[in-house]
Amino acid sequence: MIKDITIGQYYKADSVLHKCDPRTKLILTIAFIVVIFLCKNFFSLGLMAALTVVSMLISKVPVKMFLKSMKPIIPLVLLTAILNVFYTTGGEVLLSIWKITIRDKAIFTAIFIAIRIFCLIIISSLLTYTTTPTMLTDGIEKLLKPLDFILKPFNFRVHTLAMMMTLALRFIPTLIEEIDKIMNAQKARGADLESGGIIERAKALIPIIIPLFVSSFRRAYELAFAMDCRCYTGGDGRTRMKRMKFSLCDLFVFLSFIIIFAGIVFLNIKFDAVI
Amino acid sequence: MNVLSVRGLTHVYGQGTSSEAVALNNCSFDIEKGELVGIIGHTGSGKSTLIQHFNGLLKPTSGQILLNGKDINESKKSSVESRFKVGLCFQYPEYQLFEETVGRDIAFGPKNMKLDEEEIKKRVLKCIEYVGLDESYLEKSPFDLSGGEKRRVAIAGVMAMEPEILVLDEPTAGLDPQGRDTVFELIRQYREKTGSTVIIVSHSMEDVARLATKALVMNKGEVAMFGTIDEVYSKADELLTMGLNVPQITRIFMELKKEGLPINGNIYTVEQGVNEIIRLKKEGYTL
Amino acid sequence: MTEEFIKFENVSFRYENAEDEPELPLALKNINLTVNKGELVAVLGHNGSGKSTLAKLTNAILVPESGKVSVMGMDTANEDLKYEIRRKVGMVFQNPDNQIVATIVEDDVAFGPENLGVEPDEIRIRVDESLKAVEMYEMRQAEPHNLSGGQKQRVAIAGILAMQTDGIVFDEPTAMLDPRGRQAVMDTILKINKEQGKTVMFITHFMDEAVLADRVIVVNNGEIMTDGTPQEVFSDIGRLKKVGLDVPQARELQYRLKENGIDLNGNILFEDECVKAIKELFQKKVL
Repeated sequence: MIKDITIGQYYKADSVLHKCDPRTKLILTIAFIVVIFLCKNFFSLGLMAALTVVSMLISKVPVKMFLKSMKPIIPLVLLTAILNVFYTTGGEVLLSIWKITIRDKAIFTAIFIAIRIFCLIIISSLLTYTTTPTMLTDGIEKLLKPLDFILKPFNFRVHTLAMMMTLALRFIPTLIEEIDKIMNAQKARGADLESGGIIERAKALIPIIIPLFVSSFRRAYELAFAMDCRCYTGGDGRTRMKRMKFSLCDLFVFLSFIIIFAGIVFLNIKFDAVI
Repeated sequence: MNVLSVRGLTHVYGQGTSSEAVALNNCSFDIEKGELVGIIGHTGSGKSTLIQHFNGLLKPTSGQILLNGKDINESKKSSVESRFKVGLCFQYPEYQLFEETVGRDIAFGPKNMKLDEEEIKKRVLKCIEYVGLDESYLEKSPFDLSGGEKRRVAIAGVMAMEPEILVLDEPTAGLDPQGRDTVFELIRQYREKTGSTVIIVSHSMEDVARLATKALVMNKGEVAMFGTIDEVYSKADELLTMGLNVPQITRIFMELKKEGLPINGNIYTVEQGVNEIIRLKKEGYTL
Repeated sequence: MTEEFIKFENVSFRYENAEDEPELPLALKNINLTVNKGELVAVLGHNGSGKSTLAKLTNAILVPESGKVSVMGMDTANEDLKYEIRRKVGMVFQNPDNQIVATIVEDDVAFGPENLGVEPDEIRIRVDESLKAVEMYEMRQAEPHNLSGGQKQRVAIAGILAMQTDGIVFDEPTAMLDPRGRQAVMDTILKINKEQGKTVMFITHFMDEAVLADRVIVVNNGEIMTDGTPQEVFSDIGRLKKVGLDVPQARELQYRLKENGIDLNGNILFEDECVKAIKELFQKKVL
């Protein structure tokens, strides 16, 4: 069922990573993504993978949860890996059958990319598993705050963006449930959603999309009233119940990551690039 | 004759995962042709899961659903056919309306049945009448109607498939007393005119008492009781322990019985209550 | 001493008509109504009677076409006072899903006070107290989509409690809930009025909820039909039925017995009153 999607879910636990300020985690996640694309050899990538695994373990989030979030991506990873095997040129030829030649560099690249993608998924899942959506959006809002001065002339604020994210996160499960309900109702009237060509299938979606739109607009309208009744007037003058504060935890995590990142850069320079 | 038979029906959600939950556990019962069965139970008792098996929307983990003696999950074809033979109308069905006109929305089911234009037209006309609206509604947009009218159009859309069994999940949820009475009256008339079997899921013991010929009580995924209204409502104590609200009038007469009044039978409508008091009065009973 | 809280003076209201369509009829006509501090008022009426419009006029979601609505002397038509008024009168709506903003229960409750610019430590105190008052404290870390309708509605109530308004208007808070959810929400509403002394006005079409109020206002056709204690309002059951409303079964029993020449004492609304009156009926003979 669609309800079982776990990406973007918060997992409650008591770990160093949970205690960290969302801003720390956001910055480090972005830094991680940059650094992993800098990795050019197996030594630096290995260290990156080790960092990923250690972070995963100290988060106290069950490994099963990560496997679950990786499952839908596996076919994609395999596909990229296979394509790489066939299309990479250079390196020694390992095997040559008919028109297909497989080179060592191709194999390296495939493995490299697979590890890279898995690390990325784990690290980004880690961010959402250890940070509540509210903290996450608050963190983004604080980090992007300086942009306000660019956005102001366009009558737009970073806060508005953060609020939109919060509401989207809040209503995704509700809408998924709603789609489920509408689909069942139309199926009960004999709607065939599973057979036919692309055009037929697209047509078959109309009885689902229209009621979904109608109800989403109604929800949006009612929600706007409800927010207005709770004196919401935008970001100005708002306070927050949960204050963000950098703590020793943050310092510790921050420093460890920075040291490791430095190590990676060093390994990258020291050893030859494989891809 | 049994139009619908449920045999050892068990349904487990998310089997084999950590969130495994038994929604239905070994349910068995038979529904005879032409009956009006009220399914009662509070949220989470398995009512909704149960009715979604009747037309093959959900597949049993184990057990069978027999429609006129034939297993609906026997083949893909029989499962699809069961969608039309058992018309399922979900809670708040007005949210499934999507066509530009009421007429076209009602025609959605019959169209999916691949009926010819002539037949579809006939059914649309018949069903708009079943729900107490006139032909002028057919050209209106369903989104311009009042809440109660939308509800009735949505119900007509299920009736238009001319199902052998009409299943309605909380058909009066969110309606005011007048709207509720109208919908119940329409369902009663529909059953009279067509002779179809009707199954109504409801939270309200009052409504079931007024309308149904039989009551089926679901509790924790099991069939707790199934019988005539009289049989089921006579066990008011048991119903109360399941967290169900027996009608106020039933509670009053249960209390009077406890106080020593010789009340005959079970009282679950005001009508019966009035008659019972008159009877006692006539007999010159005193406490 | 009674202190005026919400006051309607000759209020009429009409919804805007769509372009090139005729003007809509008045939704409310010449309403005069005063709700005093600390009162528990039920507004009863069928769908389309104007009862929800009445609710939305109390905190400046809507402003009257003519006449004046004031909250503690503040005119709702004055745009500058809009948020000042909403700090006095909070509102809880029908659909529990569409008023919860945050992805975690406690964050949602904090939303109101955050908008008011309350200090973080103070917000924490208010959030915890509010969640305890609606008995949802244990679920403070839960995600709203995992809650039942009744639980979500209680979270919405806590969200208003945390704003520390003087009064709360509930616009059909139980219409979409199952009996258990309804019970829990009604208990909460009564508690807010009785224990916290907040002025409460709730809109409903369930008579069994209206009888719990201190004062019942029946709205029909955009006008106030009756206004009085539940005993007074439910004494004329013929009139209530005519406008499509229910009466408690106990009350109906009394009415129907009277038609048959049997008189029960008092204005019966509740079970225990009815049981007592029937017992007296049979005891009288002995005396």
